[in-house]
Amino acid sequence: MNDSPRPALRRIVLALNGAPTDRLVVSYAASLGKPAKAELVALHVVEIDWTLPLDGSVSGLTEEAQRVLDIAEADAEHLGVRLEPVLLKARNVGAAIVDEAASQEADLLVLGLPYRKKFGGDFVMGSTVPYVFKNAPCTVWVVREPMPQEGA
Amino acid sequence: MIGGRRPIRGRKPGDRRVRVERPHSAYFRYTGPGQLTAKVTASAPKTRVGRAWAQTRRVLFGRQLSNEEDAFERLPKKLALPIFSSDAISSSAYATEEILRVLVVGGASAIVFSIPVAIAIVVMLAIVSTSYRQVCRAYPSGGGAYVVARENISQIAGLVAAAALLIDYVMTVAVSTASAVAQVYSVVPQLYDLRIEIAIVAIALITIGNLRGLREAGLAFASPTYVFLGLALLMIGLGLFRIATGTAPDLAPPPDAVPVGTAPVTGFLLLVLCLRSFAGGSVALTGVEAIANGVPAFKPPESRNAANTMTMMAILLGILFIGITVIADVFHVLPTEEGGQTVVAQVAAAVFGDGSLLFILFQAATALILFLAVNTSFNAFPRLSAILATDGFMPRQFSFRGDRLAFSWGIILLATVAGALLVAFGGDVHALIPLYSVGVFVCFTLSQAGMVRHWRAERDPGWWWRAGVNLVGGILTLVVLLVVVSLKFTEGAWLVVVLVPALVAMMLFIHRQYAASSRQLALRPDQVIAPPRRAERVVVPIAGLNRAVVQAVNVGRSISPDVRAVLVSDEPDVAEHVRAEWEHRMPGVPLVVVESPYRALTGPLLAYLDVLDQAWPPDEEAPVTFVVIPEYVARHWWERILYNQSSSDVRRALIGRPDTVVTNVPYRREEPDAFERQPEAVET
Repeated sequence: MNDSPRPALRRIVLALNGAPTDRLVVSYAASLGKPAKAELVALHVVEIDWTLPLDGSVSGLTEEAQRVLDIAEADAEHLGVRLEPVLLKARNVGAAIVDEAASQEADLLVLGLPYRKKFGGDFVMGSTVPYVFKNAPCTVWVVREPMPQEGA
Repeated sequence: MIGGRRPIRGRKPGDRRVRVERPHSAYFRYTGPGQLTAKVTASAPKTRVGRAWAQTRRVLFGRQLSNEEDAFERLPKKLALPIFSSDAISSSAYATEEILRVLVVGGASAIVFSIPVAIAIVVMLAIVSTSYRQVCRAYPSGGGAYVVARENISQIAGLVAAAALLIDYVMTVAVSTASAVAQVYSVVPQLYDLRIEIAIVAIALITIGNLRGLREAGLAFASPTYVFLGLALLMIGLGLFRIATGTAPDLAPPPDAVPVGTAPVTGFLLLVLCLRSFAGGSVALTGVEAIANGVPAFKPPESRNAANTMTMMAILLGILFIGITVIADVFHVLPTEEGGQTVVAQVAAAVFGDGSLLFILFQAATALILFLAVNTSFNAFPRLSAILATDGFMPRQFSFRGDRLAFSWGIILLATVAGALLVAFGGDVHALIPLYSVGVFVCFTLSQAGMVRHWRAERDPGWWWRAGVNLVGGILTLVVLLVVVSLKFTEGAWLVVVLVPALVAMMLFIHRQYAASSRQLALRPDQVIAPPRRAERVVVPIAGLNRAVVQAVNVGRSISPDVRAVLVSDEPDVAEHVRAEWEHRMPGVPLVVVESPYRALTGPLLAYLDVLDQAWPPDEEAPVTFVVIPEYVARHWWERILYNQSSSDVRRALIGRPDTVVTNVPYRREEPDAFERQPEAVET
């Protein structure tokens, strides 16, 4: 059994994707971060197609993306924690999350994994979660959305 | 800091990312497509004076609460009981005295009727509270007598009930405060001369407490009410024990006692005396309706919690009122002249011992609950005002909630009127009482009549039983109302009889005004708005040529190509100089010089606008005239005295002028560099 002390949590990065799991991610991160007085950074990445300039404006996308962070900020406020929102545009969401976590010197990275009801319902890992697992410079938590029968 | 639109390089080639700025986040949150919600910082004051005022308000009233925090302001029963019942329960402190004050005229043979009169009042309390229990269940959205009468009888009946309720709440504040001060000088007679000052300070403190919000006021108000209840029940228990054991003292009349009548009163005179004492003692029922008005302030299930709180309040009030009256009767307590000990103070002194710790504690608790009973009105009056304002019968400001979710306008109005009343009546409880009862019984009667019609219309199982309870209550309260009005008309009840119709007329006037304005502003249901077709022209009144004028002319050019400047001048030489400069520097914008040999500035400008209107082809629709006024923005408050006086005069003169839009174009001294960059302003 490993009885080494738990590493101190100074900064937690929350990768949000606008799905219902965002609330869970904020709630778990707040419950961990509040007693440790850790800084919470909410990160939302808008993926930009290679055919479009990365630094150009993408109509409609930004307001929706801002809303994802604003809702998270409001949820955090209700839970009594402060959250620094960061909105990024990138070609690859996974890479942007990992790079931002590295530059923020995060101690923990929390992501949500939504349950998809289409095609019989399943957890589709996609490419972001595996990428983050393989490349993140810190501990990674994946918060899974409850399956319908669990949530009922 | 990572930011801007500059791509940040990732750890691998091609993994670039751009951080998007969030300029809205300091003040707003996106809460839906095309929808922003303001944060508290959006309304934060920008000036130093504004910030200092905001800080003062924060210290006095607490931090601003958002609408979302409203749910946390609901009251649990243990807080709702003291908040909504302190008025009713505390009236036991002066109701017995009001009975004795009347009966004492009839001598000892009349005073013995104090207990039957008190019992009759308690029976009525039981009927009225049972009726209001039904109101709580039938009308969970609150509003009490106003809503019940409006929905079941007529709009006018509702307004009469509302007017009576508003008067009742004001009177509650005045009477309870005056009575509380009387309890204080019952212990410390030297404070009698300071009674008005004490009352005003108390009202001010309660006002601040209420402006801070309901829950905080509730916590502050709960404990003294429970202390009063505990001590009053102890006093009654001890008093009844002494009566039962035959150790009740036979008190000697105090030196300042009201003289007891010597001639025996019998027959019709005795009946009138008993009726008058009943009318006086029925102030015990005041405040019963507060719970029915405040149902939405209860925690869910609101109706059931409110109804149960109503029953609890009625039981407690009944016990206290009967108990104090029985002890006062058996101990031979007599009311005193103004400035002497109150009846309840004499009862406490007789039971606990005059000057004892328990006596002082009881008096303190009585004074506190009476001061705090005022809070019942501070909860109910603003709520009723808000309902009336929402219905368009009071100015809309009364429905706006302040920083702490309290209806600040209602709270401040109540405090002001009640304070003025206290000063006008010299803080005398007995002078205020006749004004008190009329409004209360008007409400009871209308409310119960409304409930009878409600049950008849609903015809639920057992409706006849419910309607019967309300019918009996309605008849009884109507009888009491007639008795109070007829017997106390000359003592002040006439004022309420005049005030109620006056208030109803005022509310109808306000409603008519709002209805007329909303009719004028309304769009037809089938109306689709087409682009504007009317011609537009711009007139820029100037005093000379400077940067503020250039900016105003440029704004005018963005509104319409038809722009002209007007210089009203009483110095032809100066005007000629301005014209020469204008034609050189502002080509394409005509300048009209209006010479004013009588030195008036505004009048000639208005006359020129009239002439322009008259010159417009009569077969075409009149154009919209934009009067664009250049204005120099003062940096300091004292600079405002030095600048823009003429433009303020012009603006005032143009208010209400048909087909005219007034636009101010401020020029800030801080922006000269930005101005220099405008090529059209510097190229000459």
